[in-house]
Amino acid sequence: MTIRLMQGNEALGWGAIAAGCRFFAGYPITPSTEIAEMLSRELPRCGGKFIQMEDEIASLAAVIGASVGGLKSMTATSGPGFSLMQEHIGYAAMTEIPCVVVNVQRLGPSTGQPTSASQGDVMQARWGTHGDHPIIAICPTSVRQSFDLAVTAFNFSEQYRTPVILLLDEVIGHMREPVELPEFNTVKHVERTGTDVPAEWYKPYGDSISDVPPMASFGEGYRYHITGLFHDPMGYPTQRLDEIDPWIERVHRKIQRNLNDIIMVEEDGIQETGVIVVAYGASARSARHAVKMARQRRHKVGMLSLLTIWPFAEEAIDRISRTAKRIVVPEMNLGQLALEVERVAGKRKVVRVNRANGEMVTPQMILNAIEGR
Amino acid sequence: MAESDQQAGNHEPSPSTADQQPRKGPRGQVIIFSNWCKGCHICVEFCPTQVLAFNPEDDRPVVVKPEKCTACHWCDTHCPDLAILVKRLE
Amino acid sequence: MSQERHTAHEYLRPTKKFPNVWCSGCGIGIVMGALIRAIDRIGLDKDEVALVSGIGCTGRMPVYMDFNTMHTTHGRALAFATGLKFARPDLKVITIMGDGDAMAIGGNHFIHAARRNIDLTAIVVNNFIYGMTGGQYSPTTPMNARASTAPFGTIEPPMPICELAIAAGASFVARSTIYHAVELDKFIERAILKKGFSLIEAVGYCHTTFGRLNKLGTPVDMMKRLKENSASLSEAEKLTPEERENRIVHGVLRDVDQPEYTDLYNQLVERAMELKSQEGRRSGGAR
Repeated sequence: MTIRLMQGNEALGWGAIAAGCRFFAGYPITPSTEIAEMLSRELPRCGGKFIQMEDEIASLAAVIGASVGGLKSMTATSGPGFSLMQEHIGYAAMTEIPCVVVNVQRLGPSTGQPTSASQGDVMQARWGTHGDHPIIAICPTSVRQSFDLAVTAFNFSEQYRTPVILLLDEVIGHMREPVELPEFNTVKHVERTGTDVPAEWYKPYGDSISDVPPMASFGEGYRYHITGLFHDPMGYPTQRLDEIDPWIERVHRKIQRNLNDIIMVEEDGIQETGVIVVAYGASARSARHAVKMARQRRHKVGMLSLLTIWPFAEEAIDRISRTAKRIVVPEMNLGQLALEVERVAGKRKVVRVNRANGEMVTPQMILNAIEGR
Repeated sequence: MAESDQQAGNHEPSPSTADQQPRKGPRGQVIIFSNWCKGCHICVEFCPTQVLAFNPEDDRPVVVKPEKCTACHWCDTHCPDLAILVKRLE
Repeated sequence: MSQERHTAHEYLRPTKKFPNVWCSGCGIGIVMGALIRAIDRIGLDKDEVALVSGIGCTGRMPVYMDFNTMHTTHGRALAFATGLKFARPDLKVITIMGDGDAMAIGGNHFIHAARRNIDLTAIVVNNFIYGMTGGQYSPTTPMNARASTAPFGTIEPPMPICELAIAAGASFVARSTIYHAVELDKFIERAILKKGFSLIEAVGYCHTTFGRLNKLGTPVDMMKRLKENSASLSEAEKLTPEERENRIVHGVLRDVDQPEYTDLYNQLVERAMELKSQEGRRSGGAR
């Protein structure tokens, strides 16, 4: 493939297609709309389906319905739409239906500032929907990574039968960088595990070695029931504790036991015992620059880029907290990921560098924190 | 319905064809699935020929006048529990 | 031990608990029977049928039937069904909703599904109340009726379900009642066979909440009232407007042929592919 100047949102769309996404339902919202526009053009050309629904709630509902029909499906939105989608994120988590929800974060709360960036939905991505549920949320820091992590999002979603939130921000979504995308037939994509037992043997939520039940699509010959109510292995509603408790344990275990696969971090000099910067998304770009400036000034500084936001990179943060003197966490919010870092590393070690007004955290701000100013 | 006044074997022979002759006996057989019935009384109250009555002991309908069944299927299309079936008799 | 089998037994899930969960005398079971008879008569393959329901007593219907069944969130069954049908036009997708589910929280999706004319059959069981949650008023509760959240009577005019569907663009719109169960299954059959968005309003009653709060008696009493308060289309024509307002008019209210959404999308794909090859030719073959 040739090198092209490409926008983050567009690269994400190509990543979805490369991953095998063949269904998009969405609603326009700045700064995510380019994803919908791109897919409205490209999906019909590759045998896929695109529909603009009447609102974000319907969009994620349609995505889930299409996934049940056997298609890899995605929607894309920003803060206000993400808030609307919470009920159905919970539904997909409860029913274990694979789907990808892109949130190109913008400044909130409420209507906020649609064309400004933020990282203000980090906690919402974890806990926006009611009830105890695991979730996977991943976050690119460049245009090329938007492509790569779109593929990863689908792979996690199909492998673990879970909704995956792909968190961008307006900077990554709207910026343009030169990228060389890989040939799509070289992109590794994961298909959901199906079943081949006789139909009357199939249990849509039965026990399996991997903790992820094989998923049949509707119309394949396996007629089963899906519900958002607590359900037994057959999918039927239940109120029995001896069916509810095992479900809760299994659904959390299916993520917990795969943290080695799911948690993606990029380490740069984190054996340092000075300062370590922990950053993600657009803030990681500023952080990289700040770390470079700090090293030019002979500071011992390392950096941990989090590509996976949820589940939280507990083990990595715990590891660096043993040797680092200070952990700097720059974010375009008032300290959402910092709460997790503080929980693991201790408040005393953590320095927050925050901006929640739509402007990026600058390299200088981070450098000041590295230098203890 | 006129049938309720007929008694088997008591009608005048007539020159009309067989299917114009009033039929003797029931047209349908009522089968009740008591396990599924929740005792709402709809079948008993609405049967046009009072084939069914309520058994107060187990709160379930019973067939009391099987010969009156015309196989109109009112009961089995209106049972909320799908607990009653009418089989057409030939 | 009875060896007899009801037609329904062929279509119900033997692994589910029966008798069903609804109150004794509830009309939802009657609608389920009508749906089964319609599907049986058409002769659909069970694997090609998908039922998508919302939340409420009516939403508990699909789990009992041996099809591809999906019990979704409150008001959004049509949105889920739209995604499923669009992804899988080969499936017969039927949505099953109550009056509160379809008309209140689901009102927006109702309008747009009808507008798109996507090939879905929507069955709205109208019992004029929110039954599952204990009898709150719904958008179809008659004016001045009592409900648990309208202790002094409702002051909202009821939503006209069928008229709304017609205005929004549905291809087939029919109303029947659980008293007219055989007419109901014939309408459901036509709705399923119809290409395009079909709406069936199945009028029932909730004696447990609405009936009790408005002193309307037993299921038998309410069934009798349904019979007395109904009017077919031809009967309704002979009534005065005032008389007609208090009747449940049942019949087929609309049956038109219109382009259907998934068909239009297939044509769109052809256009997109044609444009793509034109672009390819213009740029000398390399893309």
